[in-house]
Amino acid sequence: MATFRIAPLLLLLLAGCLNAPGEPVTPAEPREVAGILRGETVLEGEVFFSGDVLIPAGSTLTLRPGTRVRVQVSESTRIDPEYLSAATELLVRGTLNILGTPEAPVVFLATEAPGSAAGDDPLWAGIILDGAAGTLRHLQLSRAETGVLCLASSPLIEKSLFSECRYGLIAQQGSAPRLLENRFENGEGGVFCWLGSDPVLEGNDIAGNAEEGVFVDGSSRPTLAGNRISGNGIGLALYPRDLVYDPSQIRENDENILLLGPEAERP
Amino acid sequence: MKIIPLLIALLAVLVQAAPAAEPLRYSGEETLFQDTVWEGEVHIDGILTVAPGTTLEIRPGTVVRLSRLDSNGDGIGEHELFIQGVLRALGTAAEPILFTSAEETPVPGDWGAINMMASEEDNVLSHCTVEYAYRGFHAHFARGRISDVVFRRNVRALQFQESTVSLRDCTVEDNLNGLQFRNAEVTLERLTIRRNYWGLRCVYSDVRVRDSLFEGNLINGANLRDSTLSVEGCRFVGNRKGLYLQRSRGTVRESTLLDNSEHGIFLEDSQCDILANRVAGNGRAGVKWVDSEGIFQDNSLVNNGEYALINDGEGAVVARGNWWGTTSAEAIAALIRDGADRTGLGLVDAGEPLPQGK
Repeated sequence: MATFRIAPLLLLLLAGCLNAPGEPVTPAEPREVAGILRGETVLEGEVFFSGDVLIPAGSTLTLRPGTRVRVQVSESTRIDPEYLSAATELLVRGTLNILGTPEAPVVFLATEAPGSAAGDDPLWAGIILDGAAGTLRHLQLSRAETGVLCLASSPLIEKSLFSECRYGLIAQQGSAPRLLENRFENGEGGVFCWLGSDPVLEGNDIAGNAEEGVFVDGSSRPTLAGNRISGNGIGLALYPRDLVYDPSQIRENDENILLLGPEAERP
Repeated sequence: MKIIPLLIALLAVLVQAAPAAEPLRYSGEETLFQDTVWEGEVHIDGILTVAPGTTLEIRPGTVVRLSRLDSNGDGIGEHELFIQGVLRALGTAAEPILFTSAEETPVPGDWGAINMMASEEDNVLSHCTVEYAYRGFHAHFARGRISDVVFRRNVRALQFQESTVSLRDCTVEDNLNGLQFRNAEVTLERLTIRRNYWGLRCVYSDVRVRDSLFEGNLINGANLRDSTLSVEGCRFVGNRKGLYLQRSRGTVRESTLLDNSEHGIFLEDSQCDILANRVAGNGRAGVKWVDSEGIFQDNSLVNNGEYALINDGEGAVVARGNWWGTTSAEAIAALIRDGADRTGLGLVDAGEPLPQGK
């Protein structure tokens, strides 16, 4: 494991590992980043995530407007993942600030190598927030296993685009992210609410997902208001019978609303 | 008569005044070249190696504390016990052995590992608790026999490769990841693997699991890739996915897959016989079947969320002789998603349904 530990450390000479506490560091180009980013790190311009990136508790990563992050495509043969996914991941246990603007969104790109056999499979893990805080605005992210996986995390995610991810967003383990005016499109599923999670979904477009637009388990109670959930296999699949929502948000799916559980109904 | 109470009082004072036995201490990089026996308290403030040909025996009730040193700031403590010889940690139910952090406020990853390398004899851990390590048990080219051990609050409870490991009557709980291994031959009996992020994940391994519980793991109960698997009498309950096989072969028999958020069983490019299982209450589907083969029979598939069975592959799935909670062909068809619902997918043959669950 020594190699695994040393390589990220060398890379992080570029990326804020050794910065003095409290002094934000913007690494010089080439901004190749992997490993643990401690303290305050600010990235902008062209950035390459050559491996997993971890923001530990108490540390902050900020991506300035217009930042373009190229992500190393996961190696299918990788078998000892350092963190939670076997694929390349941005794992945040501190704070993540993505400060895109309408004119200058922050873009994550994972490009399939020529001759790759990835097919429709995800090319990277995505952003994992594990007990983390964050604000994600005008983010564009595609081809991830999960666009944003919230584990006991409640970030604000606004005006962002998640396309062709297996799962657009998963809220689990008591997460309550605020999802405002985002678009979750053309993945396997849109937004999943699991294990006591209560996200707020307002003004989102959730469209063209092969399976569910929104899935709600029996222990979760999302707020659904002013969303447009259409063109999915199932618009809203849900267990709870006491969830209050305007069904007019959910239209033109193969099935619009599917009640799950012992008294399941297929309209 | 006055002398006796006086003697008792004197004895009590002497006993009180007697100093507690000092812990045995190791610091820096030390190596045991002779067979060694530990009991009482042991403090390791460095890396302690057990040399090849040397046996370290740890007696019941021993407490082994390892201090934290994270010299490179990667969040992983580096002090560890490095076994190149043989470890025999033989606690008892009444007097278990504890491997733990020496820190006042311990956290997972305070110390490195019980690390085993290239042992020809079995390393044995029995009636132990291992906590706050980066890797509770870590082995390369080694053999391990582990019973009645609790692995808790480690970053990774057990990680090994090119090793032969058996675990019986162990609990793996509240770690970041439970068991992670590759190129290994593994036998698991009567394990409880719960509340980890990942319960078990492996590649290129041969795994036999009996009478074990995978419960409340946040990502997957068990995920095997390019491996062979035999599961019997197990329960996968309340995980995100219960059992996820990728490019693997095996049998899942007489097990319960219950209330997992996504799928009870997810087969991807695998060859697996699924026989006489109870698959119920799983959120997205009881079984998701993608480009896989195998016998699917005598199972009970009731009260799953969206579907009892999804065939997302191009090939047909023969699912005759299962209990679907109904014998109505129309009702069963509604519980299955296949090529009849989506073009390009194979069909499911759910003929001759069982009249009731076994």
